[in-house]
Amino acid sequence: MKKTFITIGFFFAVVTGFSQEFDKSLTSARTAYASKDFSNARFAMTQMLGILDEAIAKEILKLLPTKLGAMDYKPKEDQLTGGSTGYAGGLFVNRFFGNDPKTASIEIVNNSPFITSINAFLNMPMIGMGDSDQKSVKVQGYKGILRKQVGADDNKLTYELQIPFNNTLLTLKVSDTTESEITQFANAIPLSKLANVAQ
Amino acid sequence: MRIFSILVSVMLLSSGHTFGQFLNKLKQKAEQKAERALDKKLGLGQDQNNNNTGNNQSTGGNSGATEGGSTRYGKGNPSNSGGGGLVSSPPDVGQNLLDAETAYKKGTFGDARYSVQQAILGVELEIGNQLLKSLPDAIAGLKKDETQDEVSSNGYGWAGLTILRKYRDDKDKQLMFTIANNAVWMASINAYMSMGGMAQQTNGQQNWKQIKYKGNKAIIEYSESSGYKLSVPIGQSSLLVFEGVNFKNEPDFMKAANEIDPDSIKKQLGEQ
Repeated sequence: MKKTFITIGFFFAVVTGFSQEFDKSLTSARTAYASKDFSNARFAMTQMLGILDEAIAKEILKLLPTKLGAMDYKPKEDQLTGGSTGYAGGLFVNRFFGNDPKTASIEIVNNSPFITSINAFLNMPMIGMGDSDQKSVKVQGYKGILRKQVGADDNKLTYELQIPFNNTLLTLKVSDTTESEITQFANAIPLSKLANVAQ
Repeated sequence: MRIFSILVSVMLLSSGHTFGQFLNKLKQKAEQKAERALDKKLGLGQDQNNNNTGNNQSTGGNSGATEGGSTRYGKGNPSNSGGGGLVSSPPDVGQNLLDAETAYKKGTFGDARYSVQQAILGVELEIGNQLLKSLPDAIAGLKKDETQDEVSSNGYGWAGLTILRKYRDDKDKQLMFTIANNAVWMASINAYMSMGGMAQQTNGQQNWKQIKYKGNKAIIEYSESSGYKLSVPIGQSSLLVFEGVNFKNEPDFMKAANEIDPDSIKKQLGEQ
């Protein structure tokens, strides 16, 4: 009981902290803008974007599976960023599963530089013709690219599935696996909900 | 044997994608030239040409699609000759901040982010317009051409603000000045800066070198076709680019570039 209270208290402290940061940046942005200090107004708004991306990343982590087949996720290795000041800045979430030799990862990136080439491949099948190690697939109605890689030493297969949602890219990578297994794992990810939250 | 080698040659040439493109372009150019010459003789304009000679639409596919729009979606489509363009409506910063606050309180973070991005876009456009107002009316005898002023932003903050101003005379001399707040451009220019040995020299003519511009490291380039180009990184993520066409020589171009005050621009961009 005591543990539950501590957990709830911690959650509220985090949410309140977020909210305070957001409110603080919002006030700075409004004050700077009102006094025509545009560069500082922009800086405060960029901070707000970072806070929002972090909040979205946390929502995404809540939606991601904690188990893929027999592989458990590694809570301590969850990664998320909310920095929006760089070129490919913005949302980034990464979750890892399993232990060597069989591992998996799910990565969600906003404004990924790969989106354009993936969409080009999905919309113009001619681009990928002749490469037997990649093909377009459909998972839960979403189009994606499935790529196969053969291990140099052990000949084990690693598959990578990339699914774009508008300007967000989801990548599921599984080592020592089969096409049917990665498809099964991909079906365990709530793609529609993720797409709604990430965009 | 001879037939075989001719066949192989033809196959090789036709399979070369680049060669195929080259042939197509050559063919299009020749056809366009022929059309123009014919039009001139007959006294026909572009529109008359499209309407009167049905065969021309297939030969001038590109020109039809871009100029008249008559071949793209079938024959007989009218060309747009009015409309006045879009109403210029920069995002309302105050309203977008309010929308962001409301969405954030509701927990719809995606909507909040969209509104903040719009607010950033609005502020960046204001920064751009403010900067344009602060630039000189004339440089080296070239007058500003406000009709060509441009401010563009992607709303991500510190990643894609671009401001453009052109100065020109009545003839063909022009100075184009760009202020960019763009991480990608900065990365490439800094790569140049860190590799001083990349100075290019062709037949004794140096077309690229590092110089100092008002205390800032800069790169000056020259090209026979596009003229002089001076790139000056300022602050943490901004870049000034001067492009001069038909300047007499490097000192003439640099004299014009020196009429800009980079410190004032830096200050307005909030750069250190």
